[in-house]
Amino acid sequence: MKEFNYFAPGSVEEALELMKEYEGKYTILNGGTDVMIRLRERLINPEAVIDIKRIPGLKDITFSKKDGLYIGACVTCKEISESEIVKENYPFYAQAASVLGSQLVRGRATSVGNVINASPLADTVTPLVACDAKLVVVGPEGQREVSLVSWAGESQEERIARGAFFIFVRKVGLKPGEMAIGLKIPYVEGQKAVFTKFDRRKEVDLSTVCATVGKFNDEYRVAIGSCAPTPIRLPKTEALLKGKKLTPELIGEAAELAGTEVSPISDVRASAEYRVSLVKVAVRRSLAELSV
Amino acid sequence: MKTYHVDFFVNGEEYELDVPANKTALNIIRDMLDLTGAKEGCGAGECGACAMIVDGVLINGCLMLAPEMDGKHFETVEGFADEKGNLSPIQQSFIDHAALQCGYCTPGFIVSATALLRENPHPTREEITHYMSGNLCRCTGYKRIIEAIEDAAERMNGGAK
Repeated sequence: MKEFNYFAPGSVEEALELMKEYEGKYTILNGGTDVMIRLRERLINPEAVIDIKRIPGLKDITFSKKDGLYIGACVTCKEISESEIVKENYPFYAQAASVLGSQLVRGRATSVGNVINASPLADTVTPLVACDAKLVVVGPEGQREVSLVSWAGESQEERIARGAFFIFVRKVGLKPGEMAIGLKIPYVEGQKAVFTKFDRRKEVDLSTVCATVGKFNDEYRVAIGSCAPTPIRLPKTEALLKGKKLTPELIGEAAELAGTEVSPISDVRASAEYRVSLVKVAVRRSLAELSV
Repeated sequence: MKTYHVDFFVNGEEYELDVPANKTALNIIRDMLDLTGAKEGCGAGECGACAMIVDGVLINGCLMLAPEMDGKHFETVEGFADEKGNLSPIQQSFIDHAALQCGYCTPGFIVSATALLRENPHPTREEITHYMSGNLCRCTGYKRIIEAIEDAAERMNGGAK
């Protein structure tokens, strides 16, 4: 690691001032499981590292049926996976948090960090996207909420115009000087969803394909990771399913349609064709589980 | 070079040091405190040779910056034997089961196993492999390690050290 100045601000305001002072030359440090690797490999060489873990309030987990779940920026994946509130109301999110990296990584890695990284295969992101979650950010102009939903078939320009968070691989809709402080995850009475992670081995692997498929009121939502430059929802598949009773025929039709909505690439983990097959399997199995 | 004053505990002993920002907690514990149980394997959070327990949570010491250590309580393999030098049940079980060959990964495995049995005194085999999956061993093939942990859990009779 090159030399840098380390700061551990005691408030969001103090952090924002430091970000202004070191504009374009700082890195925010949260759990550090990605940032530390980038620092150590000198992929980033900031003048200032701003550690946000000592800011009060960023470890909050709160829930009410009306306001849904709030996860502070510094809540770790271990804490999410063990939280009774999360396990009871969003078990698919707890499950996703429990398969990210290893136990050692989950002790430090955060879901907000997982979002900010903007990797298409982030484990904890498809549950958030399926829930219509919003990222809470603060900046020089105050606080705002940014939607984590990106749609299959949408262009980068459309995402920017709509104010979406995920624009492209590692490209996000944050303005200069803004930082994330938490996640707002709406709650729908009776919501039910299935999280799937396909990987090459059982533990400590990046997803080949990950998915969260859920039922929220009369709506079905299909969120897929690792099949496009961002995690995506599948609008045509969701429209096909909306308001309908799940039958084996409908499930088969939805799985095939889902396969046509994704546009994965071939890489070291899998071929594009194999990923399409995995998407169909994930959608079919998830809907079958939701239909019982 | 600018340094940062940190006050922290390792295995119950307090240390006050001035540390550079661009070093890791692992660097400080090994190079400034001479506690060389925790090792640097991959330096990227993949191998677990640097496993340590910080404020009760199992983490990779190679992914924590030195100035972050301020106010924290660290536990490393050096802290598990009692005052008389008697090994912990997990340490003894690793020896009895020959759950090591070259030994490089062993401190990390013992730290992770200690954290596991505190959180879950009666783990199933699947729970052991899930929890321990961030520790890599290139010698034993894992079978003896898993058996050592199962046996240690029995010896401890559910009571965490």
